[in-house]
Amino acid sequence: MMTRRSKLMAASAFAVVAGLAFAHPASAADTVVKIGIDSSLTGGDANEAQLVTNGALMAIEEANAAHLIKGVKLEGYVLDDGTATAGQYDPAQAAVNARKFVSDKAVLGEVGPEMSGAAKAMIPIASWANLAMITESATNPAMTDPAQAAQYRPNGKPVFFRTVATDAYQGPNLANYFADTLHVKTMYILDDSGAYGEGIADAFQAQAIKKGIKILGRDKLDPKAADYTSVFTKIKEANPEGLFYGGVLQAGVKVVKEAYDILPHTIKKAGGDGLVGAEMFTGAGYPAAEGWYATQASPHITEDTSAKDFMAKYKAKFNKAADDYTITAYDGTVVLINAIKQVKDSGKPLTREAVRDAVAAAKVKTLQGTVAFDENGDIQDKVISIFQAHEDKSDTSCKLEDDGCQFKYIGVAPQS
Amino acid sequence: MTTADVYLQQVINGTSLGAMYALLALGFTLVYGILELINFSHFNVFMVGSFVGLGMLELFGVEPNAAALTGFALIGVLVATFAVTMLASGLLGVVIERVALRPLRNVKGPAAMITTIGVSYILFNLVLLGVGADAKNFPSPLPSISFAIGGAVLRLREILIWIASLLLMGGLTYFVQFTKMGKAMRATAQDPDAARMMGVEVDRVIIMAFFLGSALAGAGGLMFGLYYNLTSYVIGFTTGLRAFTAAVLGGIGNVPGAMVGGVLIGLIEAFGSYWISAAWADVIIFSILVLVLVFKPAGLFGRLAPNKS
Amino acid sequence: MTTASLMTVLHPPLTRGDRARRATVTLLTLVLIAFPFLGHAFQGLGFDLDIGDDDVDSVANALAYATLALGLNIVVGFAGLLDLGYAAFFAIGAYTYGIFTSFQIMPAWSPFWEPLAALGLVAKYHQAAGDLVHFTLSFWLALPIAAGITALCGVLFGTPTLRLRGDYLAIVTLGFGEIVPIVARNVPSVTNGAAGLNGVMAPTLFGFNFRVDPTPYYYVGVLLTAFLIFVSFRLRDSRIGRAWMAIREDETAAGAMGVDHVKTKLMAFAIGAAFAGMTGVFFVAKLQTATPDMFGFPVSVMILVMVVFGGMGSVWGVTLGAFVLSLLQSWFLPSLTQWAHGIGAAVNNDWLQHIDLARSTELIFGIILVVMMLFRREGLIPATRKQDALSFEAQNVAGVRRGGFDAETTRKVLGDMSHAPGKLLDVRGVTVKFGGLTALNKVDLVVPAGGVVAVIGPNGSGKSTLFNVITGLVPADSGSIQFDGAEILGLKSHEILQRGIARTFQNIRLFANLQVIDNIMIGQHARLKTGLLGAVLRGPGARREERAALSRTLDIVTLFGNRLAPRLTQVVSHLSYANRRRVEIARALATRPKLLLLDEPTAGMNPAETLELAEQIKTLHEQGLSVLIIEHKLDVVTRLADKVVVLDHGEKLTEGTPDAVRRNEDVLRAYLGRAATDAANAA
Repeated sequence: MMTRRSKLMAASAFAVVAGLAFAHPASAADTVVKIGIDSSLTGGDANEAQLVTNGALMAIEEANAAHLIKGVKLEGYVLDDGTATAGQYDPAQAAVNARKFVSDKAVLGEVGPEMSGAAKAMIPIASWANLAMITESATNPAMTDPAQAAQYRPNGKPVFFRTVATDAYQGPNLANYFADTLHVKTMYILDDSGAYGEGIADAFQAQAIKKGIKILGRDKLDPKAADYTSVFTKIKEANPEGLFYGGVLQAGVKVVKEAYDILPHTIKKAGGDGLVGAEMFTGAGYPAAEGWYATQASPHITEDTSAKDFMAKYKAKFNKAADDYTITAYDGTVVLINAIKQVKDSGKPLTREAVRDAVAAAKVKTLQGTVAFDENGDIQDKVISIFQAHEDKSDTSCKLEDDGCQFKYIGVAPQS
Repeated sequence: MTTADVYLQQVINGTSLGAMYALLALGFTLVYGILELINFSHFNVFMVGSFVGLGMLELFGVEPNAAALTGFALIGVLVATFAVTMLASGLLGVVIERVALRPLRNVKGPAAMITTIGVSYILFNLVLLGVGADAKNFPSPLPSISFAIGGAVLRLREILIWIASLLLMGGLTYFVQFTKMGKAMRATAQDPDAARMMGVEVDRVIIMAFFLGSALAGAGGLMFGLYYNLTSYVIGFTTGLRAFTAAVLGGIGNVPGAMVGGVLIGLIEAFGSYWISAAWADVIIFSILVLVLVFKPAGLFGRLAPNKS
Repeated sequence: MTTASLMTVLHPPLTRGDRARRATVTLLTLVLIAFPFLGHAFQGLGFDLDIGDDDVDSVANALAYATLALGLNIVVGFAGLLDLGYAAFFAIGAYTYGIFTSFQIMPAWSPFWEPLAALGLVAKYHQAAGDLVHFTLSFWLALPIAAGITALCGVLFGTPTLRLRGDYLAIVTLGFGEIVPIVARNVPSVTNGAAGLNGVMAPTLFGFNFRVDPTPYYYVGVLLTAFLIFVSFRLRDSRIGRAWMAIREDETAAGAMGVDHVKTKLMAFAIGAAFAGMTGVFFVAKLQTATPDMFGFPVSVMILVMVVFGGMGSVWGVTLGAFVLSLLQSWFLPSLTQWAHGIGAAVNNDWLQHIDLARSTELIFGIILVVMMLFRREGLIPATRKQDALSFEAQNVAGVRRGGFDAETTRKVLGDMSHAPGKLLDVRGVTVKFGGLTALNKVDLVVPAGGVVAVIGPNGSGKSTLFNVITGLVPADSGSIQFDGAEILGLKSHEILQRGIARTFQNIRLFANLQVIDNIMIGQHARLKTGLLGAVLRGPGARREERAALSRTLDIVTLFGNRLAPRLTQVVSHLSYANRRRVEIARALATRPKLLLLDEPTAGMNPAETLELAEQIKTLHEQGLSVLIIEHKLDVVTRLADKVVVLDHGEKLTEGTPDAVRRNEDVLRAYLGRAATDAANAA
């Protein structure tokens, strides 16, 4: 849809700048329903953001092509919560985006945001408007924690749903793996001072201590600083067997690089799903990335036969390989579209509230299996998958920027 | 690692970092000494320099994961890359001066400084739009040789940074002290009107200051890439502001002061991160900036040029 | 000539341009008030303007930026202090509200909180482990509180830093602007770190919760902007505003005219900070989150771009600048992007289809900064408008007057000049050294009450240094200066002016971009009392004072006949050289001096003008004003001075009556050179 306002602008005293707005063509008979899509398209996680955004758009396109909902034309309304200033997601921009979604009456639901730090800023606003949000990758547990209902559901019912598990599983399960399978005894912990990074590092640390791993130190990094060498010198002095980094790729790329340069290569290094992105391999690259463990808070689906069709279509359409969170984004969009269809088919008016209720009650067959949410909005089947970066020069089909194949699947992390 | 090893390692880290800050600080100081202008565009000339260096290395076929070069090939590639990067950055500085700053030279007030902020923004965003937001892997032609000194490790890249910065700073000092142009620069810094009357072509002096300062910043940007094996569009601001603090600490306008200030800031950052926390490093550095300006605006070593009215 | 006829110069009847401007402002106000309902209203009439809530929200954001720009305009535009860390104050205001309305700090509940709960400032938050306190500071209360706190922070930060020169101040503020968000990031117990404060309360008014409806925020924004525009205008046209502009134009001259730099700059800083603090509250209440990244250097730069774009010092200009640039981001660039995509789809151009112009906002900001600085430094709406040539009527608004001043008006202007006979100024053994150079060596000088003393001497003999040390512009290494029986050495220049010493400068230091009338009004600064609050409220007292000051200004102007009267509203940099000299003397007279220091007042004047000025000085003397004058033209000296003091190489050579000094050989030697006198002697 073209933009509008032209007549007003011409009429009003903002004439100075009016020349830039244009009239819009009258739209067709179908009701337009918008699905907000928010991710961090600018900054250190841009590639992953593009993957998940395309996943959501693909689901919308497929629904439209199949005329899934009669009398409704779905539209993706893509917003970027990353800013050049922050160099990654920017919670303030996320809040601005939330207000944009909320104040556009056609938006009945949102897919995203990608990042927990952004989600925390968006949810209170969405709550007042009863706007259902389904995230594909925001894993910080606080947002669905009933103890923090006053912050994240001021209007009563939860509006925030996830098609992934949370860091309450991701961090601890990886800690279990480090203790039980890798038999690591001492570790050093870093985070990138972000909401997600701090949270997952805390969760990992708590479980690691419970498992008898000795934590030799913990440091926070400024994601915008260039130089972490003195921190790594400190870590080298502490001489841990393992290193955990909680955070996303802006600091992550530098952590991977400088850890390789300074620390002994025998140290076992791991991060959460924040490390899963093309920049891990295009920015940090091999040999620095070699051997890093990372998790995904979803089952590993991209290599599953059930997703084969999807993977092929995605690759054909966007010329990039989808990864697991592309699928959780696609799944989340499918759940949302189904909810809209349900409301429409029931003959009730299409309101945000009705859509939210339909999402809360959803039980939808998706690529990752049947998605249903508990009373707090968390997905019921919580699976954490573990991966390890490994360069396989013999596999020429796996390009450097395809993080989905550069990270080799190891298995499901042990649940405690 | 023993504590002594750690301290030695932090000194190695800090001085390498400081050498880059010093190169960048020299650009601030050269321009300030002559024009009394705080040149914010310098931040991103440094950043552009690192991308020019990246492009050059790729042109020479240095790729991530490629085998390291040795011997004359290595030296040749390094010298050529440094030369081209410095030339390109220097020319960028000259263009900035010619297009955006010269028309404002006689305008009172903050107009010129505001313009440099604008230029800085333009460079920053052009690079962002051109190469994208993600950090770029910076291929290194250096073999991964390192020397153990006790528990501390001295890597070839640190030695390269030291040697290159010492050469550049030595060259600059020689230039400023002993060449005709250098003397003209010092004279202009002291008193532009008198210098003009004595036949100094002030325009040429100013262009030279921008060229040299920007070339050094470009060299700094290239070193940044070689040191961290990474570069990105955001490196200008944080690094630039620290380098500026270094220039202020050493006494802005004072060439040797900028060098010492750079190394000091590098050491402060390394030990601040070690003793206190990396997250507070910026607060420490900017507090130094504020405190020095408030209590000792002339810096540790004072200004060479007297205050012009 | 009457004051009334002068008033018509000052306040000409509304011209067509003025009327158009008023109509525009009125129309704009009406559009702003009706804006959220325009969509519905026109829909009823059958037009689809398609103004949605998102548009109202965009304009509300633009209003928030307008208030920030108005605040920065006071600091940068009015007072000329380049602040590159302005967003820090925005942050402090934002966190003040955010911390006290979110779930960040929650002490355990105790009866101590009951009274606060009754006032609605806190609420009991039920938890299984024991009740906690949830702060629920009212938005309306938070506005003034945040304004107060940020103003205080401005004063605390400004006190040590504001004496720095302009470019250093810019850097210090930049450093401060960087520190504040990092601290916010690093003390998570108070600020929740990088994740920021979540669940910040929306404002409530009479039980109605704003929540996420943009319309009430929009009206709060309109009111806040209107309030700050009002305050800006009131301050600009007051004693305080004139002092800010005086400092911006020439700090030294402002001090010599009685403006206390530190206090005046602090006021600008505090007011600017208070504006930002209030906006911070508004912004955070609207966004319901506050994170450190919201307040970094780019935000400070963005606000600066808005001010520069609109016009530094221009209240309407910066408001418009903020509006245009804010809507550029939320309306025009997205619109253009969609158009580009449309065209791209039509011509099958992949690049056009994927372009996103919204991402080039900062690039556009950079271009705006450079282009505005190079080609239109005064901004979209300049603060000072271009001057038309004088009309015939205006040129003849005052009668021609040559020769000395009118005695009666002079008496009126000078006020009570009765004085006890004796020494008015007593300079004893004053020594001033600049590094190794001794500019003044143990100089003694007395100006008797009601006397005229001339200081002569070759160039570089220390005459101007003597003036500077008397008026507090350079410190003395030793000696004493007594004025009216009290020591003034060591006082600041504005304090010395308050005691009654006014001066002019050898190379004319007027406030070049201000009008004649403002220059003279600034001269009265130290004699007026209106403070910040008085300037904003403009009560009867303040009005009376302003009227009296204006009337006195007109009296002073009248002294010069038709030289200055027709040019009252002209910017002084457009005046002729002789007229600028006159304005400087008028400005000095406005300070109600007991002693007037004139530094080569006739330099650059032709013989007729010189004679006229000499006569005028004579009138001042006759009416009781004491004068200390540096002058090269010996006929002027002879005509005016009771006593002549001769300086050479920083030392007093001799003093005496003009005739005696004229015959003194040492003086001849000093002036004509030793060789010349030696040759004369030999011959």
